[in-house]
Amino acid sequence: MEPKTGAKGISLGSLARRPETGSLIGFVVVYIFFAALGGKVFMSAPGWSSWLNIAAEVGIIALPVGLLMISGEFDMSVGSVIPASSMMAAILSGHYELPAIVGILGGLSVGLLVGFVNGLIVTRTTIPSLIVTIGVMFAVMGMTLGLAVMIKGSTSVSYVPDPLTKSILGQFINGMFNVSIFWWLGFVAVFFYFLHISPIGNWVFALGGDRESARNAGIPTDKLTIGLFMMSGFNAAFVGIAQVMTYQSAQVAGGQSFIFNSIMCVVIGGVLLTGGAGSVVGILLGTMTFAVVNQGIYFAALDPNIGSIIIGALLLAAVLSNDSFRALAMNYATKKK
Amino acid sequence: MTKFSRFAATATTAIVAACAAGAVMAADIFVVGGKPDDPFWSRVKLGAEEAGKVAEAQGGSVTWLGPQNYDNLGPDAAELIRQAIDQGADAIVGPDWVPEAMDPAFEAVVAAGIPLVIYNAGGLEAADRLGALNYVGAVDYKSGFAGGEYLGNAGHKNGACVNTLPGAANIEAFCSGFNDGIASVGGTGSVLQLPATAFGDATAVAQAVRAHLLQNPDIDAMFAIGDADTNATVSGIAQAGKTGSVHVCGMNFNDSILANIQAGTQDCAIDQQGYQQGFFAVSILNNFVNYGVTIPTREILTGPGVIDAANVELVMEGVKAGAR
Amino acid sequence: MDLIANLLRRPAAASILSLIGVLVFYVVFGGVELGKLANAASWLNYAARIGIVALPVGLLMISGEIDISIGAMIPAGAMTTAIISGYYDLPIIFGIIGALTIGVLVGLFNGILAVRTTVPTLIITLGTLVAMQGVVLAGSKLLTGAASVPLTSPAWAKTLFGDFIFGGSHQVIIIWWVILAVIFWFVMHMSKFGNWIFAIGGDKVSARNAGIPVDRITILLFVLTSTAASFVGMCHAILFNSAQVSGGMNDIFNIIVSVVVGGVLLTGGFGSIAGVFIGTLTFAIVNKGIDFTAIDRNWANLIIGVMLLIAVAMNESFRKMALSYSPKPKK
Repeated sequence: MEPKTGAKGISLGSLARRPETGSLIGFVVVYIFFAALGGKVFMSAPGWSSWLNIAAEVGIIALPVGLLMISGEFDMSVGSVIPASSMMAAILSGHYELPAIVGILGGLSVGLLVGFVNGLIVTRTTIPSLIVTIGVMFAVMGMTLGLAVMIKGSTSVSYVPDPLTKSILGQFINGMFNVSIFWWLGFVAVFFYFLHISPIGNWVFALGGDRESARNAGIPTDKLTIGLFMMSGFNAAFVGIAQVMTYQSAQVAGGQSFIFNSIMCVVIGGVLLTGGAGSVVGILLGTMTFAVVNQGIYFAALDPNIGSIIIGALLLAAVLSNDSFRALAMNYATKKK
Repeated sequence: MTKFSRFAATATTAIVAACAAGAVMAADIFVVGGKPDDPFWSRVKLGAEEAGKVAEAQGGSVTWLGPQNYDNLGPDAAELIRQAIDQGADAIVGPDWVPEAMDPAFEAVVAAGIPLVIYNAGGLEAADRLGALNYVGAVDYKSGFAGGEYLGNAGHKNGACVNTLPGAANIEAFCSGFNDGIASVGGTGSVLQLPATAFGDATAVAQAVRAHLLQNPDIDAMFAIGDADTNATVSGIAQAGKTGSVHVCGMNFNDSILANIQAGTQDCAIDQQGYQQGFFAVSILNNFVNYGVTIPTREILTGPGVIDAANVELVMEGVKAGAR
Repeated sequence: MDLIANLLRRPAAASILSLIGVLVFYVVFGGVELGKLANAASWLNYAARIGIVALPVGLLMISGEIDISIGAMIPAGAMTTAIISGYYDLPIIFGIIGALTIGVLVGLFNGILAVRTTVPTLIITLGTLVAMQGVVLAGSKLLTGAASVPLTSPAWAKTLFGDFIFGGSHQVIIIWWVILAVIFWFVMHMSKFGNWIFAIGGDKVSARNAGIPVDRITILLFVLTSTAASFVGMCHAILFNSAQVSGGMNDIFNIIVSVVVGGVLLTGGFGSIAGVFIGTLTFAIVNKGIDFTAIDRNWANLIIGVMLLIAVAMNESFRKMALSYSPKPKK
């Protein structure tokens, strides 16, 4: 298990203070619970691929959403970008029969554009991002439906991608592992570099900590915020396109569940919601925990609605442990000084 | 030539007169249905609107009323029916999805002397109980039954119905119909319940199907309650490595479903022919309001029609027109 | 004092402008006959349904918090009533008490977590939202075996909570909404509680230092929001003789949008009951009024989104005007 390596080689004390520790414990507990109930199948390759496929889609979106939350903003519009971009891709490549790359680029630019609009409104006005992105969400939803019906006369557009496109974006490797898992891991690497290694990462933390002093310190806060919103738009659009390639049709509705699901993954992953703290490894672990609960429930033969109760409880537990971890971390920090 | 022109003149006069007469009795018809972004309902809406062109030519209109979402299905639809009364409808078309919630609203329609046609859900019992002119539609239970029977007859005896909207009366009816259908030919059926939050999320449905199949390897037949769900179910079966050994039928269809049937990854689609539901319900009411004519055939069934490899090509033509 | 009065009037003024704007838009571009719209009940019923919840949510947002668990509490209230009095056939009063108790309990839970931890309430209530969705769905399946439960209520309960009034299709909850709005208006703008809530939303620490019982007020507000939501659910179950389980995600957005259009500042300290009331009306007219227009319903969400953004921008500029002399408008 690769995520563990991130925490290896660090003393026990500092390990306990890392925000990821809570999410790691959560993941292990949840996995053991469902492994005990779900048996061999859940622990074998089909079981792993089953929850990894879920994790990949929500995880790709959770990464930029998490970064936004670290910087102190929310993005609700991802829920409408997914169907909008998949519609765009299916209409361009399926309805107008343009090459796949045109559809893909078209879909991605929908995401970038929505993100840009979000970022622009958030930085130019003092309206909270929660409200801005709810407004944009409704607008994009309406536009997707209206335009799809106008152009195609129907709310679902089908598109059969050529084998190459399918193998890159919508293939099941070994018949079960969706290729998007690898995209997800790729995104994790990129975001890890971005947040924890590149200098811009510190800017993101500074932004969430205190916007005014971040600006005074010479950080281009507006550009950074717009950039972060464009990232979440881009990643949501990416998931939308991957869905078209996988299921070969685009629907106007759907995607709504990703709004709160992505936030939940981030919170379970230990991002402090007051902004200014969090890690990519935590988000990764949070997403995995979320997906294990979501899928494990079918292997455990429990009422699927119990899954919601478990996720809700996990979320609250994460919230509470976040607080105690932070208290611990702050104690430590003050003692050191 | 002169004879013909005289004839043409008479005909034109007649048409103009007819139109004028129509204009006097123009029927403003209100159709209560599903969300406009629901693929099935967008076809019903198209049927209603195309039948509405006749009403419009006579000076009437067709207005579509659909809920913003399905969170509060029965009460929202009941509200829309009352809204249609308030908007001065001359005739109303509505589905009886949740009888407890919606029957009082339909009774108010009849009490106000507005002609009513029940469509899509409820069946003739609802139309008779409420005093509606007629019922147009498939019967949900029978649709599910047809799917179960089809798969059972093909030798697939252990079925599961994928319910992504637990609680909605029509969806529960699909599933109980499916289970009874497969039982009627000697099989057994069960229901795979998904959490309500999975509705509309193809990946969640596919992964749930797959997990269920891995955990219950005996299942060899599945039934999905809508076209997007069917697509996701087919993908879930493929991911479980069971393509060809687990057979699928689903409610409704779109062009990717038809492609599935052609490719053999899906056995059949049960067609409720939504276009017909909208079209006939509106036509019946328009003709009744304008000319007082009725259709003595009660319970006009638009489904279930079974689409399988045998007739899939024919259906594809209709899809191109957006009507199927 | 003059300044406060001024501030109070501003948000309502902006939301009145939004309301007029929407009506003008529908009349000019949608060909709406205002008479027909005024006579119709649909938008008023809808406004009452979300408005009863929007009122306490507005208060909560003025105090700087947010509650999204309301989305699960509306179906929770409906299901509780239907299960107790429909499935188990107990007198309706037990169903009513049960629904309200659930609301109070969840509200207490949210409120206590909100004051005991530093976690934003959006996230706390997201947790209770998801958990309650599961409890309601799994619970009704467990207890009744079905996801839809019929309910027959006696005449007095129907008259009080679930009847039609004015001989037409107006629902009795409209009266509840108006009464509650008056009570909330009184509490907010006429009593010391109102000032306390504004003070909490403005600056929690100095409010506490000034001797305001911040924690108790916060918990009380959370109890109010979730009880209001379960109350609406209960009324609906009684009116429509049944309850179905459902996710309820959309109501969350609808209610928050109404409150924000009504001029409440999401970050707290600013807003008014009149504004929330008018904001709810505006949202209901946008949402239900489109059926009276010649505009294709497919565009409804686009109009909602654009209206929200314009209304919020308008509120912003009004507020800026009001605060123009203060050195830095709060974000």
